[in-house]
Amino acid sequence: MTGIEVAIDGIDGPAGPMVAAVAFGIEPGASLALIGESGSGKTLTAKSLVGLLPGGFGARGVLRVDGRAHPLDATDAAWRRVRGREVSLLLQDPFTSLSPVHRCGPQIAWTLEAKAGRRLPKRELDLAVAKRLAEVNLPARVARAYPHELSGGMRQRVAIAAALASDPRLLIADEPTTALDASNQAEILDLLRQLQLERGMAMLLISHDLGLVRGRTDDVLVMRHGEVVERGATATVLSSPEHAYTRALIAADPVLALDAERPDDALGNDADLGVAGRAPLISATGVVKRFGLRTVLDGVDLSIAPGQVVGVVGESGSGKSTLARCIAGLEREDGGSIVFDGRPLAPGRRSRTPEQMQIVFQDPYSSLNPMMTIGAILREALGVGGRRPDEVPAMLELVGLPADAAAKRPAQLSGGQRQRVAIARALAPRPRLLICDESVSALDVQVQAQILDLLGRLRDELDIAILFISHDLAVVRRIADTVTVVWQGHVVEHGSCAQVLDQPSEDYTKLLVAAARRDTTGRTTVA
Amino acid sequence: MTAALGPVGVGFRSRRRIPATIVACLVVLAVALLAVLLGPLLFPDATKQDILSSLMPAGSPGHPLGTDELGRDILALTVAGAASALVGPVCVAVGSMLLGILLGTLAGYERGPLDFAISRWTDLLLALPVLLAAIVVSGVFGGGYWTTVALLILLFSPSDIRIVRAGVLEQAARPYIEAAQMLSLSRWRVMFRHILPNVSSLVITNAMLNVAFALVAFSSLSFLGVGVPPGTADWGRQLTDNRAIMFDNPAAVIVPAVLIIAVACCVNLVGDWLGQRLTRSGGVA
Repeated sequence: MTGIEVAIDGIDGPAGPMVAAVAFGIEPGASLALIGESGSGKTLTAKSLVGLLPGGFGARGVLRVDGRAHPLDATDAAWRRVRGREVSLLLQDPFTSLSPVHRCGPQIAWTLEAKAGRRLPKRELDLAVAKRLAEVNLPARVARAYPHELSGGMRQRVAIAAALASDPRLLIADEPTTALDASNQAEILDLLRQLQLERGMAMLLISHDLGLVRGRTDDVLVMRHGEVVERGATATVLSSPEHAYTRALIAADPVLALDAERPDDALGNDADLGVAGRAPLISATGVVKRFGLRTVLDGVDLSIAPGQVVGVVGESGSGKSTLARCIAGLEREDGGSIVFDGRPLAPGRRSRTPEQMQIVFQDPYSSLNPMMTIGAILREALGVGGRRPDEVPAMLELVGLPADAAAKRPAQLSGGQRQRVAIARALAPRPRLLICDESVSALDVQVQAQILDLLGRLRDELDIAILFISHDLAVVRRIADTVTVVWQGHVVEHGSCAQVLDQPSEDYTKLLVAAARRDTTGRTTVA
Repeated sequence: MTAALGPVGVGFRSRRRIPATIVACLVVLAVALLAVLLGPLLFPDATKQDILSSLMPAGSPGHPLGTDELGRDILALTVAGAASALVGPVCVAVGSMLLGILLGTLAGYERGPLDFAISRWTDLLLALPVLLAAIVVSGVFGGGYWTTVALLILLFSPSDIRIVRAGVLEQAARPYIEAAQMLSLSRWRVMFRHILPNVSSLVITNAMLNVAFALVAFSSLSFLGVGVPPGTADWGRQLTDNRAIMFDNPAAVIVPAVLIIAVACCVNLVGDWLGQRLTRSGGVA
């Protein structure tokens, strides 16, 4: 009997059962996607298959690899003979899964030697490492590089090479592209698919993103609240979902809905029209920023009217975040002018007040002080705006959080809830401009959709201007009125959202749009 | 996904049992603390000399641990010595911790020339050999218990300053600090309300370790005769004074020596454990 068979009787956490009975099989050379939002139990399921459940969690069941049974509640010593040999785990974040103090070559070589069970001669090892790197389309010189010298996509390729070095029968990829740029995501997933087919290896791909697994896995398993709600061939499930939750997931996916009409589009194609009569709230002209010898911003212009949402898109390193930080005063620009409400602002925070603008950062895990309660965080921000501390419940309600969240600390909230707190904090001083720096990039699609709806609602209710920075065109399309495309510190294209994203005139914009669409082969049958 | 596990994990850990080793250490420290508090009541005249009963071995009637050359009861002297053995080191640890928090936070958050000045000052102090410096200063200024405390605070502070500075540097780059800057909070508020609680586990652990180091340093200084003046009840002093009678009444040397080692070890272990607990509970994420 070949292939992978999984029969989980249940996974229990300290607070009770987390995952109900799950059973599935993966043929050699086949792949299965496990889809669900955070908290659905998909990562627990994956971790139970490598014996890496966190303390306090226990799994009952059995994993069969080519007929060899491995009980899920085996000792750690027993798991060590399975993990990294028969089953490999590829983690989400290539920034933490590789050792920062070792070169990439040795990190692959360790697994090769562990599999061989002996030390290999250096020349043989170097050749083997180069071969493994070539498999993931990396040049041999990467072996001598440290992880920090590589881009995110290259790092994840090294991590893949290291995970596959033991020639496992099953590769479990846990959100392998969440930490990567849109243009890298598709490449990594295609690479995984190709390697898996070539090697006749089984693959379990964990993701929250239905759009990404289209055409890249044979079967799909949709989980919610620790239970499987739908399973079947990927194409079938995506084209004719049976469960309401699967349908909701497909609807919430901004990429799958990229072509869907925006409600505003019907009113007037050029959103600039709506705010043309109003003087800009903030206008940046010829902003220049250098870090050492590197010029990150080279004369960027941007203006935002009250009540307008301006999207700034570009790849990582394009300078879009630096622009936001210069406007916010967190970086000091080297040239150009930034005028707020007709008054020029000197570089730096000192010339700015909290009532002018606030930022919502990308990572809701590090943007809240872990030692402060949510109530204390909001009270402080309210105090800055001259508002009374008893408005905390109202702030929580505004962002859709229960009142009892005030007594909690950030660690007790989910990513989406934390981002809501960050938005509430940013809104507390009643800013006229809200800067969202990749504010939804770290969130699941469903939560992403909720936060975007929230931002849209706040814009309508409070008439604030929003500067929305993102690498994700689909997300920008959902919320922005106008779009500015930034590339290598220059504005390459600017115009209404529909115009720039549907009929891009610049080559770079076309490339970005094409990359965003490549994620969804055959998208039209879904939407 | 980890977010979903986080809340459960935190609540779960806080109910974790205290390991037996740590319980034992806490008991030892509690007994030492009792000795500090009750010592003066139990043995009001511990340093009273009585030449007639000098050099009695352990187990003698009225003197369970015997007496020393001057006829002082070893048990009374040892219990009374707990005060000078513990109060000084705790003062040193707390003093250097406060100095470290103030200078380390300033250096780490303000950067620039202030950071340069503070960092060079710590480098200078670190280059001084602690014991040698203490001996020289005691020689010049006449020594005494509180002079030694002040000197050790100064000499212990570089490690606190450096640890706080490193912790603050790490925290200051985090988005939640930028969020605080977006609210235009005063620098003092950012430093001491936002950053400091997040480095507190480092600071507290280091202070606990410093208590142990200071205890050993005090005992060494007393042993060398520059810490406390002769005639005072002090464990390090007992070691010096009773070297000569080591074979007449071994308890006179062994008891204070074992106590120094035991208390230092216990403080160290408790400090390590406390640091790990604080780190896990989210102090340093």
